[in-house]
Amino acid sequence: MDELERIREEIDLDRRRFVKKVLGGVIGGSLLLVLPAGAVKVAQQISGLAAGTDPVDPDRKFAFVIDITGCIGCGYCCVADKNEFQVPDGYYRTWVERYVIDDQDNVHVDAPRGGLDGYATARLDIPHPVRDTFFVPKLCNMCEKPSCVQVCPVGATFRTADGFVLIDRQRCLGCSYCVQACPYSVRFIGPESRVAEKCTWCYHRLAQGLRPACVEACPVQARKFGDLNDRESEVYRLLHEPNVISVLKPEMGNEPSLHYLGLRREVV
Amino acid sequence: MPLILASAASAAGYVFPNDLHVYWGLMIVLYPYITGIVAGAFIVSSLYHVFHVQSLRPVAQFSLLFALAFLVCAALPLLVHLGQPGRALSMFLTPNPSSAMAGFGYFYLAYAALLVLEIFFIYRPVLVLRQQAATGGRRLFYGVLAVGSDNLSAEALAMDRRIVGVLAGLGIPMACVLHGYVGFIFGGIKANPLWATPLMPVIFLLSACVSGIAGVIVAYVVLSKMTGRQPDRACLRTALRFLWGFFLVTFALEMLEIFSQAYMATSHWQTLRSLLWGPLFNSYWVWQVTVFSVIPLALLGYLSLQRVSATVFRVLAPLAAVMALLQVFLMRWNVVIGGQLISRSGRGAVYYDPGWLDREGILLSAVILLLPVAVLYGLGRILPLWPDAGEVSEGAPATGSLNLSSVESVKQDSGEEFA
Amino acid sequence: MQPDFKSSTHLHVIRLALTIAGVLVAGILLRQALLPAGYGTSGRYRPGAELDEANRTVRNLANDACLACHPLIRKLHLAGTHATVSCEICHGPGVDHVQDGKLAGAMPTVAGDVIGPVCLRCHGQVARLRPLDSIRMVSASDHLTGHRVRADNDCDQCHHVHAPMKWVREAREMVGLAAEPEGGRPWTN
Repeated sequence: MDELERIREEIDLDRRRFVKKVLGGVIGGSLLLVLPAGAVKVAQQISGLAAGTDPVDPDRKFAFVIDITGCIGCGYCCVADKNEFQVPDGYYRTWVERYVIDDQDNVHVDAPRGGLDGYATARLDIPHPVRDTFFVPKLCNMCEKPSCVQVCPVGATFRTADGFVLIDRQRCLGCSYCVQACPYSVRFIGPESRVAEKCTWCYHRLAQGLRPACVEACPVQARKFGDLNDRESEVYRLLHEPNVISVLKPEMGNEPSLHYLGLRREVV
Repeated sequence: MPLILASAASAAGYVFPNDLHVYWGLMIVLYPYITGIVAGAFIVSSLYHVFHVQSLRPVAQFSLLFALAFLVCAALPLLVHLGQPGRALSMFLTPNPSSAMAGFGYFYLAYAALLVLEIFFIYRPVLVLRQQAATGGRRLFYGVLAVGSDNLSAEALAMDRRIVGVLAGLGIPMACVLHGYVGFIFGGIKANPLWATPLMPVIFLLSACVSGIAGVIVAYVVLSKMTGRQPDRACLRTALRFLWGFFLVTFALEMLEIFSQAYMATSHWQTLRSLLWGPLFNSYWVWQVTVFSVIPLALLGYLSLQRVSATVFRVLAPLAAVMALLQVFLMRWNVVIGGQLISRSGRGAVYYDPGWLDREGILLSAVILLLPVAVLYGLGRILPLWPDAGEVSEGAPATGSLNLSSVESVKQDSGEEFA
Repeated sequence: MQPDFKSSTHLHVIRLALTIAGVLVAGILLRQALLPAGYGTSGRYRPGAELDEANRTVRNLANDACLACHPLIRKLHLAGTHATVSCEICHGPGVDHVQDGKLAGAMPTVAGDVIGPVCLRCHGQVARLRPLDSIRMVSASDHLTGHRVRADNDCDQCHHVHAPMKWVREAREMVGLAAEPEGGRPWTN
């Protein structure tokens, strides 16, 4: 109760300072600012999963959907990911690419530091007027036919019954054959662990009923995660409505479970 | 302390953030190079033992020991490369049948066993005679190597000969599998447009023959010089012809691959072109194709088709063989390293320079590449590298495989050591 | 037949065959002994490998966990336009703050002159990269001058970080202006 009082007083103090500023004319113009209409969506939890439940459940078919039209390139997903897995510098479990298309149809792509620092500044090296820009977050595609599992010589990378491609860190040789085989370049050999590492769609969070860290961190819900066998889930709806939706490099035949809403032909 | 597993000097264009690292470095260049030499040297021996190319007799035994020396060292670069070398035995424990890499352990062991057996049956008379001539520890050593048998009866030797024939015959498909499969490790990676071609195992196998034959030629000439012998001219000529033939086919397939890609001009060609005219231009077009393919091919053609003087032959033959060896090394480099310089983004490339002191650096690679020479020296202390001094002279009539008369002459100079 | 050989004709072949057979048997037995328990029962991987992955430490605890202990922040945060913003992207992973139900360390706060870049990662307009209808975007300097505010103002002087429009709305009520136009208005830059 004391703590609550203290916070309340603090907020009141803030308000008094603020009122002073308003009355002093410092922030007068702010009153012309207009607010957006409409309620903000509240994040949905993954139902039925909690600590103690068996993480492998073949009745679930998880899918990841990334809304390219929604991503604002803040890079906070990458920050959350780096915090969650303490990813070493220079290696990326997930990253966000920036696509800039100029009016000569040249495509300029970059991802400095994998987008960890966001994209607060414009690219200055583009010679023509910019016609279009967008961001593309990348992470493990959780293929139904994963090349990495195919090539792992010792079965240290494997696909679980519910479709997660995971790495057995106790048995990985660090031969990096899987790194070579992944068409999406989501794997790396950890400089400290010296075994293969990659995005797991936060398998460990899921086991606690939590959504993947990057999904949780996305302020605009451009990253969506859910169970395709749950007809109420957003991913089910998105994948079954007539949306512009596709996967990366379909010609590889890996059948990713990672889908992109509004995927553009420039994206590789 | 983190070990430097990979390093990339710089990148051009857009490279996926994880593609900046070149994980397969010089060690993975060495590994197919060394196994290639093993397979190729074995083919030389089989040309004599199976296909009865009599003029290759002077190097028929040597090429087996040469192959063994390299085989002993073939797994070393892999162990150096592995992030967790202590877990290497998992390859035997839980081989994943869908992995092109998983069979390596078993193939390697089986091939090593075959090679050792063939060497045993060929050298058994020598082992027995050396045991009988020696005393003490040396006697015991050769006794163990001869598995305690002293029977050199005509019947036993005839049986040995038949077994050698079977082993040498079996060895050909096994050498092809051992090395063709190394090619498939790369050829089966669909994510990499430079690697993903069904021609890859074939090119690897043929260039393995090139490096093996060339390696045997170079070693034969150098060791003959060192021991004051005259290398057998007929044998060298035959070996050079085979080298020329294998080299021609290899080079033709290498060019066919690039030409087909260029002609079909799929989206992959865009990527390949940016690689071959980008980071790989010098090592591929200048060194592999022009300097170390066109020139040695011309030299080999000249040596094979024209009658040349002994002096010219003495200079040009080993030169062409050395160049062929370097071509194969460059080919391995351009495939293994080159494939990793293109990003799967299809929009950029990485430039790579191996460090000198990295785990996969130049220094350690040189040591590993020289190690088979040391092993060969050790083998030469145990077994004679050449059939015998008397028969390895120019124009000597080729005889069949080991018979008692040659065993006798082996007995006479069994005290002689290599080098 | 030479009678002076001590060994029989086939001795070496028999010994070699026995050696090879022995090595094979030893290899098979050794493999059985070293194979991870239950290997292959659930696929070609070590059973329990997926549990190892599932037992990884959760480091980002998610907003519900944070707000459970911070009721007033909860009230502010969920009522505002920043309701979807993750606590942990500004304050760091929750595991550094609470471990085993106990306070493990203080969380960093972002305020004052370091807050600008943090806000602008989402709201910055300078890069002109975002879909216009997804989020309110500003150019920091235009925003400040446009609202006739001192150019060195920090974002959190007008905007409460958890409820960005709270004070603005209150100030508007204080001076008697309409809360906001019906149906809103397209965002202007």
